[in-house]
Amino acid sequence: MSKVILRVEDLRSFFFTRKGVVKAVDGVSFYVCEGETFGLVGESACGKTVTALSILRLLPEPAGQIVGGKIFLDGTNLLELSKEEMRKYRGRMISMILQDPMTSLNPVYTVGDQIAESVRLHQGLQGEKVDEEVISALRLLKIPSPEMIMRNYPFQLSGGMRQRVVGAIAMSCHPRLLIADEPTTALDATIQAQYLTLFKDVQKQTNVAIIFITHDFGVVGNMCQRVGVMYAGKIVETATTREIFKTPKHPYTSALMDSVPRLDQKGDRLYSIKGQPPSLRDLPPGCRFFPRCPVAEDICRQKEPAEVEISEGHFVSCWKVK
Amino acid sequence: MADVLLEGRDLTKHYPVRKGILQRTIGWVRAVDGISFTIERGKTLSLVGESGAGKTTTAKAVLLQEKLTSGTILFEGKDLSHFSPAQLKAEYRPRLGSVQQNPWSSMNPRMKVRNIIAEPLVVNKKQTKQQLQSRISELLEQVGLSAEHAENYPHEFSGGQRQRIAVARAMALNPSLVVLDEPVSALDVSIRAQIMNLLKDLQEQYNLSYLVIAHNLATVRYMSHTVAIMYLGQIVEYGEAEELFERPLHPYTKALISASLLTLPEDEDKGVEKIILRGEMPSPLNPPAGCRFHTRCGEAMPECGQSVPPLRDVGGGHKVACNKA
Repeated sequence: MSKVILRVEDLRSFFFTRKGVVKAVDGVSFYVCEGETFGLVGESACGKTVTALSILRLLPEPAGQIVGGKIFLDGTNLLELSKEEMRKYRGRMISMILQDPMTSLNPVYTVGDQIAESVRLHQGLQGEKVDEEVISALRLLKIPSPEMIMRNYPFQLSGGMRQRVVGAIAMSCHPRLLIADEPTTALDATIQAQYLTLFKDVQKQTNVAIIFITHDFGVVGNMCQRVGVMYAGKIVETATTREIFKTPKHPYTSALMDSVPRLDQKGDRLYSIKGQPPSLRDLPPGCRFFPRCPVAEDICRQKEPAEVEISEGHFVSCWKVK
Repeated sequence: MADVLLEGRDLTKHYPVRKGILQRTIGWVRAVDGISFTIERGKTLSLVGESGAGKTTTAKAVLLQEKLTSGTILFEGKDLSHFSPAQLKAEYRPRLGSVQQNPWSSMNPRMKVRNIIAEPLVVNKKQTKQQLQSRISELLEQVGLSAEHAENYPHEFSGGQRQRIAVARAMALNPSLVVLDEPVSALDVSIRAQIMNLLKDLQEQYNLSYLVIAHNLATVRYMSHTVAIMYLGQIVEYGEAEELFERPLHPYTKALISASLLTLPEDEDKGVEKIILRGEMPSPLNPPAGCRFHTRCGEAMPECGQSVPPLRDVGGGHKVACNKA
């Protein structure tokens, strides 16, 4: 087993608003190893992105705050660092790819300039060395004729190419951990397939650890070795991708899988989860999933289930699973 | 013979590209380039393809939101180009409904749900307040909401509920055909299933025809009876959903299916490989000569760059445009 690079323990990130406290992330724990891809799956507003932003300590303060937990990157607790020290970690140690390349790139700078910015800032390089690094970053992402592309503006590139540029920025400083927040959701199916294959290559070459945030189980199966399923601010099940697909234990995981139409199966009627996810401002007591759960019992209404390890590396928080 | 509700024959839509002070036309974007399809009563036709394939332009042409460059649309056997504007308003438009992709932008945030749903009724029909009121309640209940919701504003609803309101609005005039432009892709995974089931129920109950636009093949297989795979403004494969997904013939269809199949970890052990297409879709301003797909095709032969493969019937209404099939 390779070395654990990131360990998140009991992370709690809340948003303090006029209407009350939004418990966006409420006790999340997981770890990622070097060269591994860990998937965070869930519906919108379940806390996936807030978890990512907490790791980077980029929550919009003062409303958003990390109120508890520990985040160890290679042994250092990121939550104990000063703001200046934390800046040195961003970009160089941890970087992030966002969903929509059209909004994450600056339209008035060439892509070369935008990659160079992070190279200069985080690696302290200057002059020709910067260009060399920029070109090697573009090469890593298999961008054809990088010397030419680096002088282009984002609007001159296609969606797939733009997202590769975003990838090049993220990888330009050789980070140990990469957080990819729905990087392929805005791409077309065949381009998405290209991008995922490309990223697996990049990972093999650089041994970077990846947290892959997505709502698509297809992408999880393709990319991740292990996966955590999030619901209403908590990870309800963690396991290897293999086990999640074969024997999902938490009723939410299996319901989510059943409600996605499969291309290789003909179905007349989809299973649908009744109701909607709870408001994070006003969470139900007990298990967060019980109002929508098909197998809920009295205890689910009263007490929150603890996380149980049912087999090696397979954690579930559910009263019905033993 | 099948009961055809709407037929598109050789539809083309070219947009001019203008440049300079005089706005001279310097080229044409061939958004839709000679496509034909039929929609049967009570059945669903899906147009599938990546962005820029011409799906939405086709849907807009059917909704009369875009004027076609050439081609004919037949509705119940009658050519729409022979309709007068008044006839279109009285006989064609009320028979159509439409649901847009994004329920956050398809409704006026300052209108109550009651007025959103009532709008098509008020515009197209004369009726008393009571009739209107009871129709609104009926529609809301049909889509799984309750009559009290009529007094709320769109922002008070979740995405799935809003899409239900959009469906209610589309159903208001008892249409024969509903155009669904990516009806579930803006919704959360667990909500998608609810909306898809609702749409299927409504179709069965009212014998509705759907023209679905989608890029998610799994959704398409679940929703459709007939599927048209589009690439750069043309249909490359057309056929019954089951037939097409079980026996795809066009290399582009195969690649799309391969890209959309759920990858299971076991597949890697078995050595199942995904088809990864090289490159990207060329610009519709200057489509490649010959088969438009040949620049990305893994099975391309030299003649694919020269001769345009026609859409041929290979049996049972399954049509494919490929030199190899």
